[in-house]
Amino acid sequence: MTFHLHLTGQVQGVGFRPFVWQLARSMKLKGTVSNGADGVHIYVNADLQTVRVLTRRIRAEAPALARIQSVKLAEVEPIDFGDFTIVESQAVGQASLLLTPDLALCDACRAEISDPANRRFGYAFTTCTHCGPRYSILRRLPYDRPTTTMAPFGMCADCEREYHDPSNRRFYAQTNSCPNCLVELSLFLASGQCITRDQSNIIQQSIDVLASGRTIAVKGIGGFLLLCDATNADAIHQLRERKHRPTKPLAVLYPNIDQLQQDCFLADDERALLTSPASPIVALDKRPELPSGLVADQIAPGLNQLGVMLPYTPLLALLADAFGKPLVATSGNRSGSPICYTNEQALDQLSAVADLIVTHNRDIVVPQDDSVVRLSPVFRQPIILRRSRGLAPTVMMTDIPHSNANVLALGASLKSTFAWQLRGNTYVSQYLGDLESYDTQTSFRATLDHFLTLFDAKPDAVLADQHEGYFSTQLAHELANIWGIPLVSIQHHEAHLAAVLAENKLMEQAEPVLGVIWDGTGYGTDGQIWGGEFIKYQHGGFERVGHFAYFDALLGDKMPREPRLSALSLAFNIPGADELLRPKFTEKEWNLYTKVGVQNKLKTSSVGRLFDAVAALLGLADKVSYEGEAALLLESCAARYVRVNGYTTSQHYLPETLLKAQVPTQAIVAGVVNDLQAGLPVGQIAATFHYTLVQAVAAVARQMGVQQLAFSGGVFQNALLVDWLRYELEPAYQLHFHQQLSPNDECISFGQIAQYTLITTN
Amino acid sequence: MPKLDFDIITLGHGSGGILTNKLLEAGVFDLLSNPLLDTHHDGALLNLTGRVAFTTDSYVISPVFFPGGNIGELAVNGTVNDLAMCGAVPKYLSLGFILEEGLTMAEFWDILVSIKGASERAGVQIVTGDTKVVERGKGDKIFINTSGIGELHPKADISVKNVRVGDKIVVSGNIATHGMAIMSVREGLEFETTLTSDTAPLNHAVLALLDEFGPAVHLLRDPTRGGVATVLNEIARDRNVGATRLGIDLKQAAIPVLDEVAGACELLGLDPLYVANEGVFLAIVAPEVADAFVQKLRTLEYGQSAAIIGEVVAEHPGQVVLTSRIGGRRVVNMLVGEQLPRIC
Ligand SMILES: [Fe+3]
Ligand SMILES: [Mg+2]
Ligand SMILES: [Zn+2]
Ligand SMILES: [Zn+2]
Repeated sequence: MTFHLHLTGQVQGVGFRPFVWQLARSMKLKGTVSNGADGVHIYVNADLQTVRVLTRRIRAEAPALARIQSVKLAEVEPIDFGDFTIVESQAVGQASLLLTPDLALCDACRAEISDPANRRFGYAFTTCTHCGPRYSILRRLPYDRPTTTMAPFGMCADCEREYHDPSNRRFYAQTNSCPNCLVELSLFLASGQCITRDQSNIIQQSIDVLASGRTIAVKGIGGFLLLCDATNADAIHQLRERKHRPTKPLAVLYPNIDQLQQDCFLADDERALLTSPASPIVALDKRPELPSGLVADQIAPGLNQLGVMLPYTPLLALLADAFGKPLVATSGNRSGSPICYTNEQALDQLSAVADLIVTHNRDIVVPQDDSVVRLSPVFRQPIILRRSRGLAPTVMMTDIPHSNANVLALGASLKSTFAWQLRGNTYVSQYLGDLESYDTQTSFRATLDHFLTLFDAKPDAVLADQHEGYFSTQLAHELANIWGIPLVSIQHHEAHLAAVLAENKLMEQAEPVLGVIWDGTGYGTDGQIWGGEFIKYQHGGFERVGHFAYFDALLGDKMPREPRLSALSLAFNIPGADELLRPKFTEKEWNLYTKVGVQNKLKTSSVGRLFDAVAALLGLADKVSYEGEAALLLESCAARYVRVNGYTTSQHYLPETLLKAQVPTQAIVAGVVNDLQAGLPVGQIAATFHYTLVQAVAAVARQMGVQQLAFSGGVFQNALLVDWLRYELEPAYQLHFHQQLSPNDECISFGQIAQYTLITTN
Repeated sequence: MPKLDFDIITLGHGSGGILTNKLLEAGVFDLLSNPLLDTHHDGALLNLTGRVAFTTDSYVISPVFFPGGNIGELAVNGTVNDLAMCGAVPKYLSLGFILEEGLTMAEFWDILVSIKGASERAGVQIVTGDTKVVERGKGDKIFINTSGIGELHPKADISVKNVRVGDKIVVSGNIATHGMAIMSVREGLEFETTLTSDTAPLNHAVLALLDEFGPAVHLLRDPTRGGVATVLNEIARDRNVGATRLGIDLKQAAIPVLDEVAGACELLGLDPLYVANEGVFLAIVAPEVADAFVQKLRTLEYGQSAAIIGEVVAEHPGQVVLTSRIGGRRVVNMLVGEQLPRIC
């Protein structure tokens, strides 16, 4: 008898065929295994019972990186196999795979490049079936060398031997190469002149430049990184000047975990994250003393935490090891633009920032930034701040009802992503950047086109935000026109809530859920700017049951750039606030802005702006240079207080009862002003403010009589707030947070799909 | 100002009866006198040759008197400029008033004097007109409509169809000045500034440029309401431009803006590209003449700050893209309703 097994999920680029081959051989089975665009296909001569054993063992023993979604078993016309073999890929079936993300350098490969006796000693493109680029180099499905940017590189005899040796880690490793059949490094001056292609020389020259306090650009997995000496204040200052990035925190690349641990507190779960195949940037608390000499106040001004990572490619490992000290590592882009990922872009755009450019001839198809993750300090709640390299684009099976719809969602604007539900899978693109930038728009379209090509399909409907000014919304209109498909607009905060519901499999439960959706800006159905929303979800319907009391949204996009304007908007009418506000403005500004407020018609309920106002009143930030800066500073300030004093506050700034689930925004600010006037320490006020927000959730939940709470929106990137909510509200309430996605607008595209399926089913 | 036995406008002044007559005979006709207007016919009989351009515009502005001018000269310059943007020599204007009951005769007179001065500067004649009065509260002091007729300049070939990839975009002067001058005196928003409106007739400069550069001048537009951003978006989105739409690239560093205007925009969180202009035009010219065009323009009245601010490109059809001073590229969109904050 011959059986056909069709496996779907994340089953390519993870050593799956070699695994099946070995398993089948060990069971003395005959047949074939191959990759198709729709998954892995196994044909095997066996009786039903044996095939069942095989299936069970595949599920149980699959490679760690594999994620099997489904196994279909069918008897087919008998074929007589003489052996068990891996056969070349065929583009059979409709593409319906989960795409394997890029995998960080594994320990075995890392050991080889550091071993002078190994033939890959110092080789910058060492990979195996457990590590190396995947998603970023994939041109077409199924995943195989010819469909990746490894296609132009032939294998030498040694590599061929490894590739065909079942006992070798590189058995069927599509990214395999070595110094004899190499991917070639090259070193350029900022002027565009190529100085050398000699590999060892390149590492040495790069190190010399770094040691002299200058900056280099290095081609990584998802694009170019800019590196400079993290212990050299002048070097960092110069990089910041050149990048026009005055205060935004920079990530730090440590050569190894030991050195990292000397500078930062590191818990086991954080270590596991740092060393996982995704190898993201992890935000860690820095130690009071930094033995490496790291210039922390230049790297992350005003913050308690550092974003740190470990070398995730052999090239980064070689550079970091040779340098021996932490390096600042930030994405190589022109101000406001997406990361550069082609050699031409780098030479064109990074020459103004980097003194040397280290590049190579393996192309990147899909640009990605480094992912950024943090864990809340007490409850260890993972919070994704940016989902990209290593994490995108696969989303695990989630609870989207009627997931057979074929629908594309274009997300929001500032933290853009798109999501596509197709053939039973939902793909959420990596973070694609701020769509205000033309280059980001271009890369958003290019990434979308890449998906359309990979899956060779078009959606049946397209989803967009209700904000007509978003590029993503305009693009949605355009696509709906071209393809003749319907466009559906989804309210921003309902999309946030739908996202967190779907991730937590709450969409189909009967019990009501209170969505606590707090962010900076979202277009509300009443034409105002929402951002402090309580939305009840039950029986597939959404109802806005409460929100933060409206206050004036002043001066358009200037308000989020200048927290002092939020302070003015919220504190202007509070007795005695004058003396706090007045010094933040020139006389001209004061005269004008106090009148602007009177005339203003646009209102907001934004908690993001409330954070801004409090941060400004506490003297932490009047103007900011990156989005979320004021909130981060306020969280840091409160966290320092809580670290010493614990969650001991019982004071908060809310009145005894809330009217109709309205949180009195001004009363909170009045409380802050009062405490400031009473001379309370700033840290205590910051902490009390956080506790007030916790109490606001509790009060509304009580009023609504709801036990299930779901949190989304950029505000919940705040780890202190997340912990405090759990500390205060569990176990009386069940709290749900995002799991695989970020609470910020990166989750909107996915939420639009989740929300759409509800609209179409009800 | 003539001696009158009334000093405010009343409903009767628009009745068509004796009061109307008093108003017009006492001042308007004498002040704006020219042979065509003096005939007092129901309409003017005009001598025109060749191709004729015809345009109309209504003027509503608050406040009516602003630093650097008033609604009267705005109403003349605006229509004169619209004709000039067609490549026409402005000749004749009509003048329609809608007055609000309660407007003082002194204010009305000032406006009339401005109209006279502006039409003389522009070299146009006001040949026909109309006056109506509305009840108090139903107008904003005064609304003016002007229509204008002009003869096409023989060398002019102004059409969006002539715009092609590589063409340069020229602005004739500092942008956003008018809008910010108005903003600084708008009720409730007054801020201190020395800014004055740049309202001016642009026809003389335009015609001198057409004399010299003729058909190399592909398109002329005055970026009034909605500013430079809106006009350039309209051009980029115009489906008449060749077979496919074109893109426009702008260089922020090249766009002339007075420091004080830039400061006022920053103060209010406004983008000067969206702020209204009155004495400024945009020209899209063939690349080979662009430098000479700007050189010439700089020697002409109202053209001293002229500059090439960008070019027409094949990339990003339908979109206007601005390269900032620090190298980032931003899409300059059409405004969607009021400016909404976007940042999450
Ligand atoms: Fe949001
Ligand atoms: Mg006009
Ligand atoms: Zn490996
Ligand atoms: Zn080799």
